[in-house]
Amino acid sequence: MQAGRRLRLPALRVILQAWPWALLLLALLAVRLSKGAGVSDAYALLSRPFWPGSAQGEWIRSAQSLSDQTRLRQLDADNRRLRDLLELQGRGGREVSAPVISRQAGGWWQQLVIGRGELQGLRPGLPVTAPGGLIGRIASVTPTTATVALLTDPGSRVGVWVGRTQRHGLLTGVGTSRPVLRFLEKDPGVRAGDVVATSPASTLVPPNLTVGVIQSVDDRAVPATEAVVQLSAPVDAVDWVQVRLP
Amino acid sequence: MSRLARHGWCVATALLVPWLVLAAPAPLKLAGVPPAWPVLWLLPWALVDGPLSGALAGVGLGLVLDGLQLGPITQIPALGLLGWWWGRLGRQGPPIERSFNLGLLALLGAALLGGSLLVQGALLQSQQAGAWVVAPALHTWLAQTLLTALLAPLLCSLQLLLWRRQTQGRRS
Repeated sequence: MQAGRRLRLPALRVILQAWPWALLLLALLAVRLSKGAGVSDAYALLSRPFWPGSAQGEWIRSAQSLSDQTRLRQLDADNRRLRDLLELQGRGGREVSAPVISRQAGGWWQQLVIGRGELQGLRPGLPVTAPGGLIGRIASVTPTTATVALLTDPGSRVGVWVGRTQRHGLLTGVGTSRPVLRFLEKDPGVRAGDVVATSPASTLVPPNLTVGVIQSVDDRAVPATEAVVQLSAPVDAVDWVQVRLP
Repeated sequence: MSRLARHGWCVATALLVPWLVLAAPAPLKLAGVPPAWPVLWLLPWALVDGPLSGALAGVGLGLVLDGLQLGPITQIPALGLLGWWWGRLGRQGPPIERSFNLGLLALLGAALLGGSLLVQGALLQSQQAGAWVVAPALHTWLAQTLLTALLAPLLCSLQLLLWRRQTQGRRS
């Protein structure tokens, strides 16, 4: 370098023209300092539909679901055939969907009014299900509506069993959102978390409809063990229910 | 014939009671329990129209509501009695208009109605298998009584104002 030569600052015009480049440089510096944050996140977001793990998982789940459905149909057919042979109550035939037009799940009465009635073939005693399982039985019908007595109603009594231990009991409504399961024997061997379904021996409701899950067990109850059951169908949230016709 | 019953639209407002019972609007619930709608309609009606009309209106409402509910438990005796009592109160002394008085009467009415249902439920349950579970019934009774008493000053005073205008207008 030549002695005596002074450093010159770039002209102001050049600096003003270069400010977008300076910003870019700063952004790149930020990416560098943050170890690629932003860039890799954006890439992950954009490439998510093409991730091999996710897509493969979907395929496997879909195939598993198809396999389960096929197996379920076969088991259902077997079950129906065997129940016919034993002359037991069947799972019922056609289902009628009905909108919930009045809901009284709290208060003195625990009931629903649904928008289908005698004209659609409904009659007292038919079981009513919702996504999640059984919610009650039809108590009365008019030509276009039906009143459903919920499992939580104090007058409701349904024969159920715990599939794991195969112990039977009577599910009794007590006016709260959780009915009480009164077992027929002193030591049924059940525990919290066991799934409760309608009894295969029941003459009132189809067998093996999911009812709920045991929440707590009272072994000291007299004359036999009692359990509090959390219903699996959310009665407060369902807008449509299914009535199982015989 | 009673004064209010001569106005068709006044009688027609009774249809709101079963409609509200069936609709059960969620914002007007306390801990999942709705107010005693028949009490809120019957109180101003009986205060304006007297004991006979009040008792008949109570029995009529009870018949309709019993038709909408499951089981053998009935609201007819309590509503008939309340209609007759409130009708007598309306005819004796100065007219009842204050919010506190309306709230108190509604509280007593809802407590009586709920109490009658509770006793009937207990008797019925004791005849069947299993013990009557008192706690949920007490919860319903308490929540309904409180909510009815809270709503009464608002709703009943409006009905009283409207219906008194009708009867006074007709008299003059």
